[in-house]
Amino acid sequence: MITAEGLVKRYGAKTAVNDISFTVRPGQVTGFLGPNGAGKSTTMRMIVGLDRPSDGRVSVNGKPYAEHRAPLHEVGALLDAKAVHTGRSAYNHLLAMAATHGIGASRVREVIEMTGLESVARKRVGGFSLGMGQRLGIAAAMLGDPATLILDEPVNGLDPEGVLWVRRFVRHLASEGRTVFLSSHLMSEMALTADHIIVLGRGEIIADAPVSEIVTGDTRPRALVRSPHASRLADLLTAPEVAVIRSEAGVLEVTGLAASAIGDLAAANGIAVHELTPLTASLEEAYMALTNDAVEYRTEAVR
Amino acid sequence: MTALAPDRTVAPQRASAGRLAFGGVLRSEWIKLRSLRSTVWSYLIVIAISIGMAFLMSLSMVNGMNGGMDPASAPAEQQAQFVLQSSVFGVYFGQLVAAVLGVLVISGEYTTGMIRSTLTAVPTRLPALAGKTAVLFAATFVVGVVANLAAYAVSSIVFAGIDVSASLADPAVFLPILGGALYLALVAVFALGVGTMLRSSAGGIAAVLGIILLLPTVLAMIPAEWAADLVPYLLSSAGMAMFTSATAGPSGDDFGFWINLLIVLGWVAASLIGASLLLKRRDA
Repeated sequence: MITAEGLVKRYGAKTAVNDISFTVRPGQVTGFLGPNGAGKSTTMRMIVGLDRPSDGRVSVNGKPYAEHRAPLHEVGALLDAKAVHTGRSAYNHLLAMAATHGIGASRVREVIEMTGLESVARKRVGGFSLGMGQRLGIAAAMLGDPATLILDEPVNGLDPEGVLWVRRFVRHLASEGRTVFLSSHLMSEMALTADHIIVLGRGEIIADAPVSEIVTGDTRPRALVRSPHASRLADLLTAPEVAVIRSEAGVLEVTGLAASAIGDLAAANGIAVHELTPLTASLEEAYMALTNDAVEYRTEAVR
Repeated sequence: MTALAPDRTVAPQRASAGRLAFGGVLRSEWIKLRSLRSTVWSYLIVIAISIGMAFLMSLSMVNGMNGGMDPASAPAEQQAQFVLQSSVFGVYFGQLVAAVLGVLVISGEYTTGMIRSTLTAVPTRLPALAGKTAVLFAATFVVGVVANLAAYAVSSIVFAGIDVSASLADPAVFLPILGGALYLALVAVFALGVGTMLRSSAGGIAAVLGIILLLPTVLAMIPAEWAADLVPYLLSSAGMAMFTSATAGPSGDDFGFWINLLIVLGWVAASLIGASLLLKRRDA
């Protein structure tokens, strides 16, 4: 369980995180989504006390991270796949991390096996690929068998097999009752992995809801109608909450009324309908709509 | 590859698992220190320099003595000084290696990002610095003792050629050998503090070598009395005096061992206090 209240982080005049409050609950995977530069990493670093909040507070399982007597048993964090000395072997890195909490070499071997690093464990980390670095980061996060996992962009640089592995792995961890908080800038990845999503844009929370709700959101039902009597149908549809757009002759785009209701109405009035298509927003579209105003670094449309 | 976490139902908090403790932090820092090649190389170089310099120094001293005087009939006290001078000569050079190592121990963590792992495991931060300090101090001291003893052995062999000898049991011999090792260890710790403050290998090494090598030269070039008065209070001046005058009490311009040690400790304390304040306050 992670609880943030009024969390603020300023770097000089720039506000990276602006007064955000949220709760990450156990037993599910919570996605932390937002464009690059939205403040996701900063927020995660504040959770484990690497960055000091300018204001507000954040606690893990009821206490600030640094006040726990065994922090690695509370939280396992993968904040930066390269948070490892390049001159040290993966095994020695894990052994040194484990030693701080009196965790033995057998657990080190366990997490190495768990993340599939057996063959490279004795090699120096400097030669690791991005994917192996991510696996090592996850291994380090698992050392203390923590109740809460914080993973910043864990699938970054992984091959498809690795992505699948991480997805299954975090689902498994959540099913064991752990709290899993995982960031990404890819909505498609989140849609497959997370149960709940917190969307961050320009340091502010734009949405905080279950995945299913983010998809449908508060977006009203939309439908495409094709009819030879489009204008008659449009007149019948007139209502305060319904918007009708005539995109081309004989085609209506109706917002605010479900496709089934439109069909019933047309039938009741004897109007022939050639096409009736409900338009549902994809998760990707919902995300784009949400963050449209909150993108820090926007690219110009390719011409 | 696709194996998932070991089969356990509800995971959180195994009571049997250890908790964060200073003993563990010490062990962790020891694993970190010994598992880097830069450490191993630095220490081997310190030992090699000591042996090499002792050999050259004793050889040139022996050659110089073959002139008029008869060193073999000199009083034991003076003979001990001859051997000793050559035995601790390597510390002048070894201190530079110890300083570089001290900086690298922490700057290496900043440049690679390792510091974030370290501070996530030890979020109260200061125990991590304390652990690093203790381990670096102990390891460097042991290496310094080994290096100086090896240098003593080499010097003794060379001096034996002209029947000059010094007994290791003589406090005038073993105290400076220990003092030289102590100075090496303190220089390393001083450099660790500077490295923590500057967080960069290049900057930290430049600063520490500047303080050890450049500062005495710069002060010597300033034609004012206060500049000359300051020289004995410099880290390197006081440090060298620690093992070249280890048996002497305060006499004339000489502070004696304990006061020189205090001066060196002052430099080390200033460095570590600065490091602690910044480490505690800054974002990692």
